[in-house]
Amino acid sequence: MAKQLRILTVCGNGLGSSFACQMAVEGVLKGLGVDCKLDHDSVSSVASAARNFDMIVAAQNFQTQIEGANTGLPCVFLKRLVDKKEIEEKITPVLQEMGLL
Amino acid sequence: MEILNWIIENILTQASVIIGLVALLGLALQKKPVNELISGTLKTMLGFLVLSAGSSVMQTSLTYFGDMFNQAFGFTNMSAVVASIEGINGQAMTDLGLGSEIAICLAGIFIVNIILARFSPFKYVFLTGQALLWESTLCIVFAYFCGLSGVPLIIIASIVGGAFATLMPAFAQPVVRKITESDDIALGHFCTFGYMFTALIATGTKKLLGGGKEAKSTEELELPQSLSFMQDSYLAVMVVMIPFYIIIAAFAGPEASAEYAGDVNFIVYAFLQAMQFVVGLYVLLAGVRLLLAELVPAFQGISMKLVPNARPALDCPVLFTYAPNAVIIGFIFTTIGSLIGMVITGFMGTLVIPGVMSNFFAGGTAGIFGNAIDGRRGAIIGGIFHGIFIMILPALLSPMLAQIGFVNMTCTDVDTVVTGFFFMAIKSILGVFGIA
Repeated sequence: MAKQLRILTVCGNGLGSSFACQMAVEGVLKGLGVDCKLDHDSVSSVASAARNFDMIVAAQNFQTQIEGANTGLPCVFLKRLVDKKEIEEKITPVLQEMGLL
Repeated sequence: MEILNWIIENILTQASVIIGLVALLGLALQKKPVNELISGTLKTMLGFLVLSAGSSVMQTSLTYFGDMFNQAFGFTNMSAVVASIEGINGQAMTDLGLGSEIAICLAGIFIVNIILARFSPFKYVFLTGQALLWESTLCIVFAYFCGLSGVPLIIIASIVGGAFATLMPAFAQPVVRKITESDDIALGHFCTFGYMFTALIATGTKKLLGGGKEAKSTEELELPQSLSFMQDSYLAVMVVMIPFYIIIAAFAGPEASAEYAGDVNFIVYAFLQAMQFVVGLYVLLAGVRLLLAELVPAFQGISMKLVPNARPALDCPVLFTYAPNAVIIGFIFTTIGSLIGMVITGFMGTLVIPGVMSNFFAGGTAGIFGNAIDGRRGAIIGGIFHGIFIMILPALLSPMLAQIGFVNMTCTDVDTVVTGFFFMAIKSILGVFGIA
């Protein structure tokens, strides 16, 4: 079995919108046939939480902070957190680069 | 029979067990495999216990804060409360012993929301778990305060909560449509009265100051990069709470703190207690995250199946990317407004310390609403009025909350405050007829 892709979705306090985003990303990846495990957390915790994940998905407004956390992980920044079309467009090249598609 | 009674008295009265059972039901309805049933149920129970732990840390810090405040300003007959819906929820679930009722009501609100979305013209399914948890808390607390208990308590609270969960997204939708330029998503965040108040003010400024012409959008502004730290909500809470604690401790003086601080310098101690407040908040919200991780996807799966054409009502930061500058401007000016509001609440008898979390999220969203109606002028002036509004309403509710037994605390999210008023109004109407 291929290794599960672990993705962290991030928002301000890691409750509502990152969770909504997580469910949307989950739907997209299921559609693409990628085996994945997701969780969501607050932007304050990104630096410490990142080591348990392979990719970060967040809203565009957190770009500076997440890049500042130097996680070394591929990051996807979204304008519309729950727009499956945008998620698919932005996440596909990253997945291809990781050799998962 | 005896065994059954023992189970009811010793196990089913435990709120963590009830919450676990609600999660188990949700998972079972989705036909999950056994290992997921067990892990999901246990994680939900863990979430509740983490939430309680966070709540008690927060409360220790607030007890200290309240005591210092009384020693510093008590002679004026004024008391102080900190606005924090998270704290209200924590206290209600643990100290008031309403945890089981709140958990069942949360599931009840899900059900009422689905029924209303299915059969009424308001096709909104409310998916922001923590907001529903706060609403469930206030519904239960006030229905309980009105004298209800047991099954009627849960049914009435669920109906009121479910109605709010369906109607509030509908209330905000005209402006949300303008912000997102689509009709796909709705806003599910119980600060709607505040947002619509901001939109109303912005409509006023557009008419009176702009002669009917909209001001330039906030998004045409260049904001300094250094402001971006404000996107981190826990950091923002610290930045605001630390000065409050230190100022109050300084006024109270070293003798007042001695009992708490021991050998630690009283200012240093105040600083540490302010940090403790954030620790409590952080832990509490980590608990909420665990608590909801299984419940929300279950609800989403079920509701989207039963009401296929429903709009999902989502948490406010979903809107943040549509106008990121408006978020920061809304936060800043709501905070300014809330400080003005704080002074006003002082004259009302209960000084309310602004809830930074809600200034941050509600303020940011209010900025987007103001901007959508009247550009930067709407975001700034609307934001200030929004800040005052979200302070005055909780201040009006705080005497009742104190009477119920909450320690040094009041609500933030204004729709939950309105829920409280709604129950009080019903109570007094029934009182007039001699029923309650």
